[in-house]
Amino acid sequence: MPPCQCCLLGLKPGIVGSIRHFGAIDPMLKRRLADLGVAEGSNVTIKRRCPLGGPIMLECCGQLLGIRKKEAAQIEVDVS
Amino acid sequence: MNNAALIGNPNTGKTSLFNSLTSSYEYVGNWSGVTVEKKVGQLKNKKGYLTDLPGIYTLHPLSRDEGVAAEFLATESPSLLVNIVDASQLERNLYLTLQLLEYGKPLIIGLNMIDVAKSQGLIIDTETLGASLGCQIIPLIARTGEGSSNLLTSIEEADDSLHTPYFTINYGEIVENAILNISRELNDALPDLSGSHRWTSLQILENNPAVTAALSSSSAEAGLMERLQTVCQSAQQQMQDAGEHLSIQEYIRSVRMSLCHEICNKVVDSTLRKPHPLTEKIDAVAAHPFWGVPIFLAFMFITFKLTFDWLGNPLSDLLDGFISGPITNIAVEGLELVGASDFTRELILSGIISGVGGVIVFIPQIFIMFLIISFIEDSGYMARITVMMDKLMELVGLNGKAIIPFIIGFGCNVPAVMASRSIEQPKERTLTMVLIPLMSCSARLPVYALFAGIFFETAQATIVFSLYIMGIVLALVMAKLFSLFMLKKTKSFFMVELPPYRMPQARTLFRSTWEKGKGFIRKAGTFILGGSVLIWLLTYLGPGGVATTMDDSFLAAIGGLFASVLAPIGFGTWQSGAALVTGFMAKEVVVSTMNIIYHVPDMSGLQSQLALVFTPLQAYSFMAFVLLYTPCLATVGVLRKETASWKWTLFSIFYSLVLAYLVSLIIYQGGQWIGFS
Repeated sequence: MPPCQCCLLGLKPGIVGSIRHFGAIDPMLKRRLADLGVAEGSNVTIKRRCPLGGPIMLECCGQLLGIRKKEAAQIEVDVS
Repeated sequence: MNNAALIGNPNTGKTSLFNSLTSSYEYVGNWSGVTVEKKVGQLKNKKGYLTDLPGIYTLHPLSRDEGVAAEFLATESPSLLVNIVDASQLERNLYLTLQLLEYGKPLIIGLNMIDVAKSQGLIIDTETLGASLGCQIIPLIARTGEGSSNLLTSIEEADDSLHTPYFTINYGEIVENAILNISRELNDALPDLSGSHRWTSLQILENNPAVTAALSSSSAEAGLMERLQTVCQSAQQQMQDAGEHLSIQEYIRSVRMSLCHEICNKVVDSTLRKPHPLTEKIDAVAAHPFWGVPIFLAFMFITFKLTFDWLGNPLSDLLDGFISGPITNIAVEGLELVGASDFTRELILSGIISGVGGVIVFIPQIFIMFLIISFIEDSGYMARITVMMDKLMELVGLNGKAIIPFIIGFGCNVPAVMASRSIEQPKERTLTMVLIPLMSCSARLPVYALFAGIFFETAQATIVFSLYIMGIVLALVMAKLFSLFMLKKTKSFFMVELPPYRMPQARTLFRSTWEKGKGFIRKAGTFILGGSVLIWLLTYLGPGGVATTMDDSFLAAIGGLFASVLAPIGFGTWQSGAALVTGFMAKEVVVSTMNIIYHVPDMSGLQSQLALVFTPLQAYSFMAFVLLYTPCLATVGVLRKETASWKWTLFSIFYSLVLAYLVSLIIYQGGQWIGFS
């Protein structure tokens, strides 16, 4: 999938983005993210990517987590 | 008598605390989902019991292990809740705390990892926090045990006289009305629920499956659930009419979240917040986009080098010398002293000492392997491996999280099957459980150590490593096949928390190695001892009474049944057949049986015997067969329990037998064709 302009996947590592909207991601994943305090308005940063299209590592609210690229592509972010 | 429950977010150190507060010991690790079942222990001061529950973010469960905690609250009635809160992630943790306060039982907060919070530059005002929540806060560092004695005292003092916290959140008119209506219904139908009616009402509004299941199985009349449903629906309707775009669940969540946020703003000073320096540095290497996977493989290879060539084998030789020398001599002298009969003498020397001793000598290898697995578990590396492996796992229809049970499976398949509870999707969980037996557990290690030691002396670690890799590769291939043909594709997602790295403490490391290894020693004293006696008797007796030679014995007859079937894969002797049949009890028994059959006092004797019977190619084929053929008895038991299906359990036995046969056939026939012997 091509990296989009304003989705989480397209964010450059180290740049802080704020989540604007969760697109078509699995509702269970959305719940899991919410459990960790990752919701609309949260600030996220990409820490690093994995080889061969593996998950990306994110930092949000001081914690590290990994999610798959296709889901990261659905999450829209604003960069201030 | 106190009956307290430990409850909190995943990976906040509940089990570490449980271990220091009670006289029992449970398994700890640095990832989310270590504890998958509730555990009860007696408090150290003997003044009550403590229940350790799997970690949850909220009471509404998504995976099987999370359901355990919610169900506990809905069906049992603890006298006290001990909420363990990660100080470095206060806001997220408080979300659960709010729901626990609503539960209406006395609550103590153990504010854990204050050292981690401090190192990240966070300052927490515990007094204000306690005042905002109306409960006692005890700062803790569970890893070192700091503060745990204070917590123990507080649990002790918190008997029934401790006031129930008066804590309510105002959820706004619509929700409050619905709570009122549901409470009224509950009051009439089920006046003595474990949680407060307000709590139960809120959980019903949030559609918590664990709570509704507990209600419907209670004695309430049938119409109750429908009436409650109606209340929920009408509340949802009113919300919509009022122009609220959130669902009622999302709305309740948002109210709680904003309260958490408000409290955190008041009590946490994060002006000096900084990222975790150690974690940043290690991740730059260990989770490197390119080097991450090679580093992981190199790490595993070094593990095998240590387990065998560098450390394990020399120690094992020492132990073998000790058993075949001093111990056997003492036994021989002792038997002579009491004037034991030939039967007893043979039973003890050729049965028990050969059978049990033959397995015991591999303790060094097994403990080294367990020590390294414990290190991976406790350091925080485990979660990184799941991320690095997720893409590969996704391709075959699994989830990156399946790596955790697989790695635990290298120790023992039984806890590995349990560990798959933290995988959210049922399909991926079943698939993982059925494939775990292909992970080469420590019980198979004696077989490799024995055979590789004879036939591949110079490249022992490499040969054994190749077997482990074979298990993993076949698990991936099977996963792909099964998910293509048997389990229909369901949606999948992957999300894992990456905890900060920490240096495992020597005490914890040795403790957890011992806890894993203990099982092996216990098995040697029970299963393998019993098995050895039985096997020896089967070699001693035959259809015509006492067998004159072992070839006339019952064991030869049993093993002989399989000899012709096993011939094409390279080991068509009754001895191999018998060893494999008895190995179903526990795979170490393969080695015990060989020891008894070949009638030898020590490992070097057995080695020279086996060298006459097997060729290297046959030995490799045999090791592959032992790796793959049928899960052991204990694993079958736990598979049945966890899959809750005989179909899947039998399937896992059946496919692995077929797979083992095919693979050994390819190795032996293919190897011969290429020109190996």
